[in-house]
Amino acid sequence: MDRADIVVIGAGVSGLSSAYFLARAGRDVVVVDKGIVGGEASGRNGGMVSERVDEPLLIPMAVEATEMWATLDEELGHPTEFVQEGRLQVAVTEKDMGDLLAERDVALGHGIDVQLVEPTEIRDLIPGITERTLGGLFFPNGGHANTQLTVQAYAWALQDLGGRLYQNTTVTGLRIVDDRVTSVETTAGDIAADVVVGAAGPQTGLMAQLAGVHVPVAPARVEIMATAHVEPRFPIALVGNGLYGHQAVRGNLIFGGGAHEWIDVDLTTSPGKPNTPLIRNIARRLAELLPGAADAPVVRSWAGVVEQAPDYRPIIDILDYPSNYVVVTASAHGFGISPATGKVVSDLVLFGETNIDISGLGLNRFADYGPDWREKRGWTPAPLRY
Amino acid sequence: MESRSLVVVGAGIAGTAAAIEAARAGVQVTLFDENPIPESMAALNAPQFFGQRFNAVLHDRALMLERVVHANEGLAEAEEAGVDVQLGTCVWGAFRNSDTSRVLDGPQLGLANRDRSWLIMYDRLIVAAGARDLGLAFAGWNLAGAMGANGAHALMRHYQALASRRMVVLGTGNLGLNTARMALDRGIEVAAIVDVSDSVRGDRALSAALQDMGVRLYTSHTVREAVGRDGEIESVRLVEIDDNSEPVAGTEKEISADTVCLAIGLVPNVELLSLLGCDVGFKPELGGYVPVHDDCMRTSVRDVHVAGDAAGFHDGMVLNTEIARSQGRLAGVAAAESLGAFDTAEATARRRELTGTAINSKPTDAYANWTRWLRALRNAGGSDVPVCPCEEVTREDLIGLRPPRFLKWESERRDGRSLGTLAPDARVNPDQVKRLTRAGMGHCQGRLCREQVALLLAEASGSDIADMPLMSYRPPVRPLPLRVLWSHDESEQVRREWAKWFSPTSPVLE
Ligand SMILES: Cc1cc2nc3c(=O)[nH]c(=O)nc-3n(C[C@H](O)[C@H](O)[C@H](O)COP(=O)(O)OP(=O)(O)OC[C@H]3O[C@@H](n4cnc5c(N)ncnc54)[C@H](O)[C@@H]3O)c2cc1C
Repeated sequence: MDRADIVVIGAGVSGLSSAYFLARAGRDVVVVDKGIVGGEASGRNGGMVSERVDEPLLIPMAVEATEMWATLDEELGHPTEFVQEGRLQVAVTEKDMGDLLAERDVALGHGIDVQLVEPTEIRDLIPGITERTLGGLFFPNGGHANTQLTVQAYAWALQDLGGRLYQNTTVTGLRIVDDRVTSVETTAGDIAADVVVGAAGPQTGLMAQLAGVHVPVAPARVEIMATAHVEPRFPIALVGNGLYGHQAVRGNLIFGGGAHEWIDVDLTTSPGKPNTPLIRNIARRLAELLPGAADAPVVRSWAGVVEQAPDYRPIIDILDYPSNYVVVTASAHGFGISPATGKVVSDLVLFGETNIDISGLGLNRFADYGPDWREKRGWTPAPLRY
Repeated sequence: MESRSLVVVGAGIAGTAAAIEAARAGVQVTLFDENPIPESMAALNAPQFFGQRFNAVLHDRALMLERVVHANEGLAEAEEAGVDVQLGTCVWGAFRNSDTSRVLDGPQLGLANRDRSWLIMYDRLIVAAGARDLGLAFAGWNLAGAMGANGAHALMRHYQALASRRMVVLGTGNLGLNTARMALDRGIEVAAIVDVSDSVRGDRALSAALQDMGVRLYTSHTVREAVGRDGEIESVRLVEIDDNSEPVAGTEKEISADTVCLAIGLVPNVELLSLLGCDVGFKPELGGYVPVHDDCMRTSVRDVHVAGDAAGFHDGMVLNTEIARSQGRLAGVAAAESLGAFDTAEATARRRELTGTAINSKPTDAYANWTRWLRALRNAGGSDVPVCPCEEVTREDLIGLRPPRFLKWESERRDGRSLGTLAPDARVNPDQVKRLTRAGMGHCQGRLCREQVALLLAEASGSDIADMPLMSYRPPVRPLPLRVLWSHDESEQVRREWAKWFSPTSPVLE
């Protein structure tokens, strides 16, 4: 039987980053994915990197991640197209402005360097932006990266260290002896492992179910779009008017936002990821936000499936049972925090603990959640109509 | 939202025939065609490969509309039959509910004119969206003056706006020969027709007629490069090739021309069908990925039909328009029948009349021909040629999986990576390669490079082209400005309940 010290399930950013740091520590790692590297959310997200002050429990990981991003290209030896010129959150309504001031207080309370920005400065920072902003909050450490280049960088860096990557290989079962997962069953045969990391994104719950463990994670489909390259350029990641996004180094505006849709996925296939007419609403909001870019042609839109725990926070935990199974899922914040995710997971696997504060991210917070939690929450798919 | 009984997309031969057939049966039919297309879109080489060879008259919308109507005899007949003909309106999206998308009240189409976009619903849909030009790279094909046969055809026939004086045509199939004849008829000089094959591929009589008119045919030749100044093509360097598609030293010839017209093949426009989830299969003799359909032109998706070049194109169809027309009529009959406008007996009788017009010429493997062209062009032109002109990705960049050059990334570890090291890990996936190299990500939405990217990837990875998955199509399938795509009809509720990214403070989540 094939074997490895550690088998990581899922070649998204969470799994690959974990695998990379474990391989760097000298472990023999195999990553298995039913599709290709970054074929799901990790290769099709908004590429935003930020200190997530809207989610205080995530701040320690997010801060660690922004520091790691600064040198990630050199670390991995492959480019991620990361640009760290800051992230600007602009208010276009009084309510936005209130939220923004509240976030500033949270940020300052956590020692995060943020600055309030006047509308006139905003117009200097973001050419073509609406005259109608009321103010902005600038996070100097924020930034953006190219999603597929990033996942591929993790993957190649892992391989450079001797790690193995099995793509188009689907996990179908977990073999459990006593209280441990002894091997992972895949369409390419079984792989024995000392430790198994479940980083299966939207399939995280179904994967844990194979071990009889209940991990509440609901999948949702979200949409995003890109324009052709436009001038002038701005290097700052931008949030406002209900959208998040950035201008890629090449010049394309990449912005997403708006309603998500709760869906079901199954363990072994790739969920369909269609767009809906929502892209017209995104286009409108983008043109409202950046009137100077209203003539920019939209050249494509796409959708991705994100994973979501009931409290919108990641779950990162070594389970009590099976005692060598690590759950890692990001609750739709996974791209930006991915370097820290890898570090935390490798710390947990190697030392059983980590010096990054992950309190509040354990699975036990959901001890009371039964299998019907999605129904109770209203997080279930709508009935299928023609 | 407005709803139509039958929507036909594309007022070409097939679409017009389908619309007439169904309207005469009493169906309420709406026929959309994007021509005349806005100049801004034309400049992006989308949807047609105009290569900046259109003259300023394209500005004049009223005149263009008049010419487009005038050029299509079927349109008057369609209007007479009661078809609601809407020109200058593109269909950029097609949406329906599926397992992972359940928000719609029913299947919908996204439409747009020059100024705005809107949505409509349909009971039945016939996609007769035609075919587009196959792009194959040579040095200089990113200059103004490199264009496609379909693009040239539209500019000559529909717009009377082809700004070309002297043309070199690539391809001696009927597509190329016919393009040359049309150009000559309009007073454009045809300096040469070139093919990598050792004999003319298309109609003998037509090629003889062209030669009588003084057109030089260069068989067993390929293009080394197009040369120009100030971004405009001024001449084309040809070279003879041997049996291995290698250039023969000392056989270069330079031909002055302001236009190089790629007439090597056409690719069915399956974007909308693909968005709707219609099954497509790879049929190299019909131009690549084509929708699976039955004898009545029904696709695998309920209420969706296909007709004409969009259902599959082969070179024999250039000189025999009956194939597209009868496919259109079959689709029109089937739609009318399913809407109850024809009973089974009537529909069967109509179909019987139409089955006589079967395909008369046997299609040959277009991909084999394209592959030969690809090799000859590469052997003559080298690997430092942009495959994807929008994003400036060369053949070398593509196969080396090089990060975009503007990143100026240098590292030895990176240099060890290429398609060759990716291929053993997983099935080669053109979408993955697209996202790594940017080939296909530009403003033409991959129209100019999809097929050659697939061909190059198949060749470099030693895979069968038939196993190469279709690079995905995403809406909008036309490059639409933000101000056009803009939802002017947005409801108060959508406005109010707009969600921010998932977070406990997100308004709609609780
Ligand atoms: C449109 C969009 C925009 C976003 N914007 C941002 C942003 O700007 N910033 C940010 O930080 N985050 C963003 N996110 C969220 C972010 O993309 C995700 O949180 C992150 O990618 C999750 O990574 P992951 O590795 O945990 O999961 P995934 O990327 O989903 O990877 C899970 C992998 O597991 C594999 N898998 C599942 N089941 C099996 C099985 N049975 N066998 C084998 N393999 C299996 C899947 O194939 C998949 O590749 C966005 C997401 C989307 C969709």
